[in-house]
Amino acid sequence: MEFKSKVSSKVYSLEALKLASYILENWNYSLKEKGPIVEISVKGNNPDIGYKELLNEALNQQCRIDLFKTNSKIANLITTKALLSALGEES
Amino acid sequence: MAIKTKGNKSKIKQYNFSWRKIKDKVLLTNEFGHYIILKNEEFKSFIDGKLSNKSKTWEELQVRGFLNNYMDFGDLCQRWQKKNSFIYAGPGLHIFVVTLRCNHKCVYCQSGAVGKEKNNMDMSWDMAKKSVNMAFSSTNKNITIEFQGGEPLLNWDVVKKTIEYARNKEKSGDKKLFLAIVTNFSKMDKEKADYLLKNEVSICTSLDGPEKLHNKNRIFHEGNSYKITKKWIKYFKDKHDAQKNEKYRIFKPSALLTVSRSSLNSFKEIIDEYVDSGFESLFIRALSPIGYARAAWKTIGYNSAEFLDFYRKSLDYIISLNKKGVKIKEKGAELLLRKILKAEDPGFLDLRCPCGATIGQVAYNYNGELYTCDEGRMVGWEGDRFFKIGDIEKSEYKDIINSSISKGCAISSNLDNQPMCNRCAYKPWCGVCPVINYELQKTPWGNMISNYRCELYMGIFDYIFELLTKEKESEILKSWVEE
Repeated sequence: MEFKSKVSSKVYSLEALKLASYILENWNYSLKEKGPIVEISVKGNNPDIGYKELLNEALNQQCRIDLFKTNSKIANLITTKALLSALGEES
Repeated sequence: MAIKTKGNKSKIKQYNFSWRKIKDKVLLTNEFGHYIILKNEEFKSFIDGKLSNKSKTWEELQVRGFLNNYMDFGDLCQRWQKKNSFIYAGPGLHIFVVTLRCNHKCVYCQSGAVGKEKNNMDMSWDMAKKSVNMAFSSTNKNITIEFQGGEPLLNWDVVKKTIEYARNKEKSGDKKLFLAIVTNFSKMDKEKADYLLKNEVSICTSLDGPEKLHNKNRIFHEGNSYKITKKWIKYFKDKHDAQKNEKYRIFKPSALLTVSRSSLNSFKEIIDEYVDSGFESLFIRALSPIGYARAAWKTIGYNSAEFLDFYRKSLDYIISLNKKGVKIKEKGAELLLRKILKAEDPGFLDLRCPCGATIGQVAYNYNGELYTCDEGRMVGWEGDRFFKIGDIEKSEYKDIINSSISKGCAISSNLDNQPMCNRCAYKPWCGVCPVINYELQKTPWGNMISNYRCELYMGIFDYIFELLTKEKESEILKSWVEE
């Protein structure tokens, strides 16, 4: 069974949709960006549910992408320091 | 909840904090681990920019680093560094699962133990020796080797040889060694007990409450688990209390409480049991839905609200005992209070950012497999080796630190990478567990909005801060970290 729809890439970025599609294992997704629109095709059982799950997860992923943009420097600094300390190397 | 500081056009842009309602007050916290609890009116005038800069509250906010334009970075950075000292250390805890065999069949067993008659479930001496060498390769100056199982005394010869080898290695190096064993005491005898004491091995056991409850949780067909446990707790406690000029230190024995569904209505009896056994603390830990416990969750588990109700009642009862002069504290609260009040790292690897997986601890399985932590090993025992970081026969120390899963756990447990945690008022002292996230939400990142463990810690922090707003209760809680 297949379900097709279109969403605005301003709300659901292609990157977030791709990340979400990797996480959801029960459906096969096909994503195509055409200008400000992303075309979504969902295949599998209950593809309409798969479509809703995809959009939910994409919002979660978008939130993480946005957070990464603001916090990645400090987060990477702390994580790198912890790993280098465990390796016995200077940062 | 965090207040945005960048691009915010309101008057609060100069302030840097997260906040949370605590009953009729507001808790403000910041990255340096400072907090302040304000009345609603104070909070409102603070965020409206109307708080007088001559008020005592303004002064306190300034000293604690809540005002961006008035921050003493020397002091504040020192506090941050002290609070997060573990990121400069490397793995200190080395868990040796010397056997998976056990003669108990506990209803909640999370460790993946098998019957004592099973073959090929013991760590060999050769493997144990290599594991000690790996542990001593750590960059951490303080090494703790903790013997676990199964029941570690079922592989006594290897435990004994490992202790001797590790103690000798300590003498020839620059590291301080701590040894600990987690045992159900069923195979303990005087010879073993005295050997452990002479080698300064700290003793930890399980005590789940009064006899009926303990034996219901900790099923033992060869005798009465409760009576055996109590007998040996007394033995080690008496040795500790009587020590005078021994050439070795005798540590006070400790016990772990595991709260199952059967425990929920017995908080008073459990705490009284600990007081009666001479313990001055007990650790009220929630069950983790991993390994065997996950499969049996319907009969032994509970939801976070049920556990938190138990926790609050227990803490109230412990505080009421303190008011009567009884010396007893709750270990979990004490750990959090050390972080909150003293900006210390109490060595509790479950609540670190990043978490302790590999960079704070390593689990050495009986068969040579190396895991990020004991919880990761339990997932491995279920057949999913996602948290495996190496093999003692093939891996060098640097390999396990450099493994992709070690790095993955460090990245995913960094709260600055977690959408909800990043804004949480408890972020300065909290931590997430990639293993529990993976088990419950199928990703080490987890999703905190519906996360069982997050609900638990959120509730525990809420209650501790609620108690800190009460004069007498606050005094008692503060006394727990003053010793």
